[in-house]
Amino acid sequence: MGVTRVLKAYSIEEILDFMEKYGEKVELLAGGTDLLVDIRAGKNKGSVIIDISDVKEMKKIEIGEDDIVLGALTTFTDIAENDYLKENVTGLWKAAKSVGSPQIRNMGTVGGNICNGSPAADIVPPLLVLDAKLNIKSRSKQRKIKLKEFYMENGSRNLRSDELLYSISFTKSRDKNIRIGFEKLGLRNALAISRISCSVYAIIGENNRIENIRIASGALGKYPLREYALEKFLKDKNLNDGLIEEAAEIFSHEVKQRLSGRSSCPYKKEAVKGIFKKAISFEGE
Amino acid sequence: MINIKLNVNGKDYDLEIEEDLRLIDLLRDRLGFTGTKEGCGEGECGACTVILEGKTVNSCLLLAIQAHGKEITTIEGIGKEDDLHPIQESFLENGAVQCGYCIPGMVLSAKALLDKNKNPTRKDIREAISGNLCRCTGYEKIVDSIEKASKILQQRGSESHEQL
Repeated sequence: MGVTRVLKAYSIEEILDFMEKYGEKVELLAGGTDLLVDIRAGKNKGSVIIDISDVKEMKKIEIGEDDIVLGALTTFTDIAENDYLKENVTGLWKAAKSVGSPQIRNMGTVGGNICNGSPAADIVPPLLVLDAKLNIKSRSKQRKIKLKEFYMENGSRNLRSDELLYSISFTKSRDKNIRIGFEKLGLRNALAISRISCSVYAIIGENNRIENIRIASGALGKYPLREYALEKFLKDKNLNDGLIEEAAEIFSHEVKQRLSGRSSCPYKKEAVKGIFKKAISFEGE
Repeated sequence: MINIKLNVNGKDYDLEIEEDLRLIDLLRDRLGFTGTKEGCGEGECGACTVILEGKTVNSCLLLAIQAHGKEITTIEGIGKEDDLHPIQESFLENGAVQCGYCIPGMVLSAKALLDKNKNPTRKDIREAISGNLCRCTGYEKIVDSIEKASKILQQRGSESHEQL
């Protein structure tokens, strides 16, 4: 589809006005790293492009008392350069650092990564394990949904054409026993679109007991997924090498069933074991 | 058509452009900064790298309107033929240039690195140019050049400090 208009918004209010006015014709331009390629190929879904890249109120990292809020236009570089996130939310930081190249990290945004809905979106698995919430606004109402409810089974997203994802929030945790890991497998370091990614959030108590665990994967389904079966298996068990081996086999079996019939299945069902083992060993923390 | 104002290499421009014009096309076709190269057009190769507000971006992945009110540095803003930047001198002296197509982007990525990290490790350098593909050199001499340029810049920095 060609481009009929390009409009520039400087505030959330202006974006919502444009969205209300142009409805389904609107396509939002945040980082542009995917959209510009689509426009060149004539594959943009909306003919009215709203450039939101200068909406300052959506570019922020707020480390609050109880919550951490990422503006939807926070870039991967913003996250990668944030010392608090590096120290305390390591899996999220590692995922941001693993995205593309310096240029792509300077441009690409968290909101864009979520909304584009690519199965390989790097920042989504760590946000899934953090049980992040999406703050969404339209002219008529405001709502908050969990990220895990955003991707629908039919491939669409839980976001109407007049709605804007303006920020992402998750609970700030003070528990010293929390570990957040991330690991990805790409073709080369820079610019690699994830072949497989995995993020693990765990609270490890006395005797290495897994008091709570959330696991998410990227590029192993239509969209990034929570791995509930694996979580259930691991919860309340004592984390050790034997258990990790067992869990890796379960994950592999799960992937084999999910990707059955796809050419990538034989590779991914094996490779996922190594990625999972690295993610749950919290390397680089 | 739409009006934009931007600053390229220290000079202000006030232009009327097509709404869906990309930044790379504005720089090359309208303003004549043809040192900015287009390679893949998809943000993979980095040949079109420019510095926007202090950060490297792929100019093929930006609409020109996104640069409204902003400062851009292209390779033409780094040095002149008779007054090269130390990074450029170092590339020449150390044989880091073969076909040359990737070099403007490579130099700009190096410049953005050295502007914020005066004494980078070789790993830092590799990381900084990881979004710039070079199919000729094998990168070793490029990394050598950037490392040597950082030394020259540090030396000049301390000399000018002494003069003060």
